[in-house]
Amino acid sequence: MSERLSRRTVLHGLGVSLALPLLDAMLPQSVLAAGTVRPPKRLAFLYVPNGVHMPDWRPAKVGSDFDLPATLVPLAPYRDQLLVLTGLTADKARPHGDGPGDHARAMAAYLTGAQPRKTAGANIKAGISADQLAAGKVGKATKFASLEIGCEGGRQAGNCDSGYSCAYSSTLSWRTESSPVAKETNPRLVFERLFAVGGKSSAADFKKAAYKRSLLDFVAEDARGLKRRLGGADQRKLDEYLSGVREIEQRLARVEKASDYKGVPGGYKAPSGLPRDMGEHLRLLGDMMVLAFQADLTRICTFAFANEGSNRPYRNEIGISEGHHDLSHHGRKKDKMAKIQKINRFHIEQLAYILGRLKGVKEGDGTLLDSCMLSYGSGNSDGNRHNHDDLPVLLIGKGGGTIRPGRHLKLPRETPLNNLWLSLLDRMGVKVDRFGDSTGQLTGLEG
Amino acid sequence: MRTLALLALFVLAASPSPRADAAPPSYARDVAPLIGKYCLRCHSAVKPRGGVRLDRDRDDDAVRKALRLWEKVGDNLRSGDMPPAGAKKPTPAEMELLDRWLDAVVYKVDCRGERDPGRVTVRRLNRAEYNNTIRDLVGVDFRPARDFPADDVGYGFDNIGDVLSLPPLLMEKYLAAADKIIDEAWKRPELRKRLMPRSPRQGGMLYNLRQFATRAYRRPVGDEEVKRLLRLVRLALEQGDGPEVGAKLAFQAVLVSPHFLFRVERDPPGKVGAISQWELASRLSYFLWSSMPDADLFRLAREGKLREPDVLQEQVKRMLANPKAQALGENFARQWLNLRTLRSFSPDPKRFPGFGAELRQDMLRETQMFFMHIVRQDRSVLDFLDADYTFVNERLARHYGLKDVKGPSFRKVSLQGTPRGGVLTHASVLAVTSNPTRTSPVKRGKWILENILGTPPPPPAPDAGELKEGELKGTLRQQMEQHRKNPSCANCHARMDPLGFGFENFDAVGRWRTHDGKYPIDAAGVLPDGSKFNGPRELRQVLLGKKEQFVRCLAEKLLTYALGRGTERGDRCFIEEIAKNTAKKEHRFTALVLEIVKSDPFQKRRGKGGKK
Repeated sequence: MSERLSRRTVLHGLGVSLALPLLDAMLPQSVLAAGTVRPPKRLAFLYVPNGVHMPDWRPAKVGSDFDLPATLVPLAPYRDQLLVLTGLTADKARPHGDGPGDHARAMAAYLTGAQPRKTAGANIKAGISADQLAAGKVGKATKFASLEIGCEGGRQAGNCDSGYSCAYSSTLSWRTESSPVAKETNPRLVFERLFAVGGKSSAADFKKAAYKRSLLDFVAEDARGLKRRLGGADQRKLDEYLSGVREIEQRLARVEKASDYKGVPGGYKAPSGLPRDMGEHLRLLGDMMVLAFQADLTRICTFAFANEGSNRPYRNEIGISEGHHDLSHHGRKKDKMAKIQKINRFHIEQLAYILGRLKGVKEGDGTLLDSCMLSYGSGNSDGNRHNHDDLPVLLIGKGGGTIRPGRHLKLPRETPLNNLWLSLLDRMGVKVDRFGDSTGQLTGLEG
Repeated sequence: MRTLALLALFVLAASPSPRADAAPPSYARDVAPLIGKYCLRCHSAVKPRGGVRLDRDRDDDAVRKALRLWEKVGDNLRSGDMPPAGAKKPTPAEMELLDRWLDAVVYKVDCRGERDPGRVTVRRLNRAEYNNTIRDLVGVDFRPARDFPADDVGYGFDNIGDVLSLPPLLMEKYLAAADKIIDEAWKRPELRKRLMPRSPRQGGMLYNLRQFATRAYRRPVGDEEVKRLLRLVRLALEQGDGPEVGAKLAFQAVLVSPHFLFRVERDPPGKVGAISQWELASRLSYFLWSSMPDADLFRLAREGKLREPDVLQEQVKRMLANPKAQALGENFARQWLNLRTLRSFSPDPKRFPGFGAELRQDMLRETQMFFMHIVRQDRSVLDFLDADYTFVNERLARHYGLKDVKGPSFRKVSLQGTPRGGVLTHASVLAVTSNPTRTSPVKRGKWILENILGTPPPPPAPDAGELKEGELKGTLRQQMEQHRKNPSCANCHARMDPLGFGFENFDAVGRWRTHDGKYPIDAAGVLPDGSKFNGPRELRQVLLGKKEQFVRCLAEKLLTYALGRGTERGDRCFIEEIAKNTAKKEHRFTALVLEIVKSDPFQKRRGKGGKK
């Protein structure tokens, strides 16, 4: 009680009013214990660059009797949770008069369904992404509105793809049409961020949090004052600043209420840092996503296995010395296509590991995987042709019983990928009529 | 787009045409029929090739509104890349008319009269700048930005205002870093003294806050600003904490404030105006040091002297001589030469067993030292193309086949009598332009076009494909020549490949070789303009023959880096001037920097009234 009072004094002392929404915390542990509410749904977008070798990806048979082609074989244990989607198109990844740059466009359009503006720097623009749309609407329920992770950070040299800023080919998540959301690549830093100590309400901690709020309040006022004086593009930068401040403020408010903070699920130990082996890197980042879902720190995650156009070799992992992107321009040469397939399968093996972890977590009457809507795919289909129709896309999990997996669903050709995202957003409780180039929800996910 | 609209306002007259008397051709009357005859079969509404449509613009005004497109059309026409091989080409008379029209309408930039210095978007400190600024401001040097998310790159550099975004994750990192930095400084008496020169208990707090904020914000702070900071201090007092807790809170707030994290420049009233002395001090220090201004620069700004030509020249020389100028090598040169990708370059260990982390480090070191030598000794920038010296230690010397270099320390050595000279033969550059298993003459050629000659080739057609090794026969070169028979690839490769072949004597990690497998190396080539060469030494001479082009390219890169924005059409006049004046001073590096620092884009900014 006295702590609560002291917080008020602090804010009063600063002479400013803090309009912090005291949010109704949905604390799943306690809620679930009461046994009245279903587990929350989780939404994840996993991305692989450079397309895949489609002949080894697309099942020959449609429906629940579908086969698992070579690349998808590692998913056999999760066949009943797997929905293979054929026929989706990312139309906005196509040039539409902008010439080359399919890699940059593929990633920037994947979750936005918006034509990325061709620019190497000034005025970058795509569209708000599906995950950020969801984070904006339902992210308040958790400590983190969303989580963005990936193995490769922003690129560090040169022009990324044919006159497109590197932001496009390294970003899935767009908070607004002009604000790409950076991803965290280091599993240790993700862990520390997720599980930073919070909620232990000793008087000292409480005071510290209150000071932090006052500090944020101070700098937000700076930013608002500055913004009034500056011009268009500058104002956008200050908006980014302010929305960052707001997000931290909201988190502080939540931490204060999360008095039943239970620590790290399963006593998972902090990862030591950046692994050299990409498989280990992917699995550790996957662990972070699973932990975040399990502890209900967030319900929305984007996870880029690598940046679009990534040219890393997979030498240590699977003995492939050539760069991934170089190989994807296989010119229909057999040995190169075989290597591409090997890389695709390697990625799918890591996916299988993540699914195993999700399935290993009991939640409600089922497992965490049952609550998930985890998509996995690429904005390119065949890396050699750079086509953006017939995309390789998987949807995994039951979405809390709203999806009937265990099928190969063939959609009409040129079905907008955003129709899938719209359907998933709807299941997350995000009601929008359309976004990006969507034309309506997909039918048939329920079976 | 903004640039283009502005252009329409000006009456233009750039390169004097030899046919000034002839009536200028018009698009509608003279050019459109030729475009229809030679281009529209592929570039019109139905399935436009490469996404390029040329049937939209109907007259000169429409063309002027789409200059970006038409410049490319012009480039392609003049290089002969378009119409492609096999298609009908314009006759010489037709080409002459097209040339005149291109000069009069498409390429024309007015360099007389009022010039637009451009307007840079507010720049967030990037990771290097943040680290250096904290080092110079607080005195702690633990590189707090190491864990920040990578800064995005635009126009080849990671200090571009438009591109530097501020995601929520970074905001969190700023908050945590400020906490850590102030805590760290508090533990060390000498650093604490720097933050708190006066005792907070005797009314010195206001002074302490003011002097810290002034340096952190790189400008004088207003009374109101200091008072607000003081309120944070009082807050702690009211909570029963000592003044030091409050002071720390206030210092942290300064380090998270947008006034610190962003380099803010105020728009001048009217169309165009000079930036303030304080803003100029920051532009200089972040350009040459990737850090905040030091006491001398602040003093000169306060005295209003920074713009005086003698002062400016003296300061540039002083700054380049300061150890902090290493930042120019680490941030400018390394990005100009694309060397940041060397970190992820991992050649096949079976083919290149000698390559490892140490050698990689040596390669970077060589180029850094070479660059800094040119800076410090004020050498000609043409040394980048051809110098008879470099810097090696024993390991790198052995890699290069140089004798009599012992030990791990780097030293300057002569390259006379060797095939090496200039950055083009540095192992760092040769490696980043290679594939993991072999050299890539295409990548090397492309690298030279982009970074030395400033004429980047257009990207390949999506279905162009890589070399089909199994199906083609002979050496890499013979295979590429077969591949080039594909007409849609031929023109660009005619520009790139010969440049790359000239360096085929250097393998994928930059070692000298005379054979590739069983085949002897053929390092001869002919450029589209007819210049011939055999081997790297002769190719360097060919490139030296294009030194105007190189200096212009370097000037543009350095200007981009100095301003933190991409160059626009209107900047061409400035770049041209900078390059010409640099040439007059024996191409000295300092002359180049001075020309940039004195130029309008660096000294001025477009105001709100100067909307384009």
